[in-house]
Amino acid sequence: MNPSSSWHAPEVYRPGLDGPRMLFAACVLMVAASQPSLASDVRSASMLANTCAGCHGTDGASAGEYMPTIGGLNKDYLSEVLVDYKTGLRSSTIMGRIMRGYSDQEIRAIADFYANQPWVSNDRIADASLIHAGAQLHEELCVSCHEDGGRAQDDDSPRLAGQWAEYTNYALENCRAEGRGCSPRKMGQRVMNLSDEDLASLSRYYEGEK
Amino acid sequence: MMGLTRRNLLKGAAATAATAGLGFPLIGRAVPKARVVVVGGGYGGAIAAKYLHMADPEIRVTLIEKNPYYVSCPLSNEVLSGERDVASLTFNYRGLTRRGINVMQDEIVEVDPEQRFVRGSSGNRYNYDRLIISPGVDYRWDAIDGMSEKVAEQIPHAWKAGPQTLTLRKQLEAMDDGGVFAIVAPPNPFRCPPGPYERAAQVALYFSHHKPKSKILIYDSKDAFSKQGLFQAGWKEHYGDMIEWVSGANGGIIEGIDPGNRQLIGEVDEYPADVINLIPHQRAGALAQIADLADDSGWCPVDQRNFESSLKPNIHVIGDACIAGAMPKSGYAANSQGKVCAAAVAAALNGETSPAPSYVNTCYSIIAPDHGISVAGVYELKDGQIVSVPGAGGLSPADADARTKAVEVQFALGWFANITSDMFT
Repeated sequence: MNPSSSWHAPEVYRPGLDGPRMLFAACVLMVAASQPSLASDVRSASMLANTCAGCHGTDGASAGEYMPTIGGLNKDYLSEVLVDYKTGLRSSTIMGRIMRGYSDQEIRAIADFYANQPWVSNDRIADASLIHAGAQLHEELCVSCHEDGGRAQDDDSPRLAGQWAEYTNYALENCRAEGRGCSPRKMGQRVMNLSDEDLASLSRYYEGEK
Repeated sequence: MMGLTRRNLLKGAAATAATAGLGFPLIGRAVPKARVVVVGGGYGGAIAAKYLHMADPEIRVTLIEKNPYYVSCPLSNEVLSGERDVASLTFNYRGLTRRGINVMQDEIVEVDPEQRFVRGSSGNRYNYDRLIISPGVDYRWDAIDGMSEKVAEQIPHAWKAGPQTLTLRKQLEAMDDGGVFAIVAPPNPFRCPPGPYERAAQVALYFSHHKPKSKILIYDSKDAFSKQGLFQAGWKEHYGDMIEWVSGANGGIIEGIDPGNRQLIGEVDEYPADVINLIPHQRAGALAQIADLADDSGWCPVDQRNFESSLKPNIHVIGDACIAGAMPKSGYAANSQGKVCAAAVAAALNGETSPAPSYVNTCYSIIAPDHGISVAGVYELKDGQIVSVPGAGGLSPADADARTKAVEVQFALGWFANITSDMFT
């Protein structure tokens, strides 16, 4: 691919990012400030979580196609995924190397921080011709866990609607390659026989649902 | 701290009253809790300003940067290969002004740590309760005989992205097939430890398509370098014998340059080249030198918990210029330090001690369009020093498969999109 054609100057102001996050940051500070008796070597949730933003965007709202938006995801889901990166149960290029730097308690604090941020869908315009087949696959294979066009989420099923298609596609490819070894197993069973085109149209479908 | 804030406020009130000829107090106006001036709007400073404003909107944050735009060093090696243009690396500060950060274009020429103000070349004076500087690097021209800032216009270092990057690109375009391109890599510590070696790969990418008989020689002061094994394997895989690295022990130490004859003068031998990219020895940026924030090493000692200068109180130094334990001089390290510093300054201005810090570095290098590599580090404070968390971090695996190598390029581009969005939106 040609990087310069796919790259956009991040000029778009996203007002959805402002108020609640500021309040939350202020609350974290005030809580930290009002409890000086806490051991001073306990690192706050925002201190730990802000180090992720360089790759995942401020408050987890990603501006890069291959980096997932993590702000607003379910806390228990995030926590489990991050621990799975740490133990190697979930494969990764770099996340395992990073998560091994944190205790499980710190990982829960990071997950809690991002779960409390607003979800910000990517701002790309959906191409209807790419997503038609994806909608059908969704109804056939995915809707039982990823309800409401992938907008619903719980501790097992992440929000997919509005996630970058490149990331979703990459995660689906990983799961397909692992087949029954994919965690959760039911994901592996459902995607292991899908084609590249199937994965691409599913990813585009979810991206377009916002 | 609070006494000085009040004094500054009173001074401001007196000035307003005097100008207006009225004795009205500042009722109804938003009186800032404190004033923080951040100098330098790059990977460290832009982040410190933004995260300080996010942590406590009652603190008035002024970001002072001498240029109206910022050009990113990370990914600028792709301009040399022709994969990318400078416009794609260029950002403005409007996203920060929209947040309520006061962004000023000015070049700071004076720092007064006693009276707590900085002065710009404009003549403007900026008072502060806390000062954060992120001045980047400056060059030690005297370390190589015959080298100077003037000579660098012809023999570009291109180690700050911008006009010199384009000069070097033009020289590479003008070079005949079969020519020799020489990179002189500086001694540690310096900005972007993998940078010279990624640069060799990106220029080799260009040569392999347009000037395949050409050679790239890296003359190094060092006997080892960042991501060395991964780079050397990647060079070989994609570019055969085009890139040759000459270690310090094997004659790579360069002591002088004859710019007229395009010749490098080494300890033992002289090396002619058609295009030379001499990356100079480095030290903390000029502002750190002006303000006496650097020690004999040329870099700025700081309290690594909050980046407050060990030499001047109430001044914090972040990014490439500071001495930050085990952290490298990288864009992501500056980002991480900016956040730790912002949290510490917000705490201090609220009468609290610095919070326990957490730091991360991630750094991608692009060897070929389908081959990226990375290094990551997770850091903590131990006995006042930033140290790597044992068992965490490290390099991409040497035996990565083709898909992993390709996706690491995509992650490099996503890294860039997000770290710049973290800075500028």
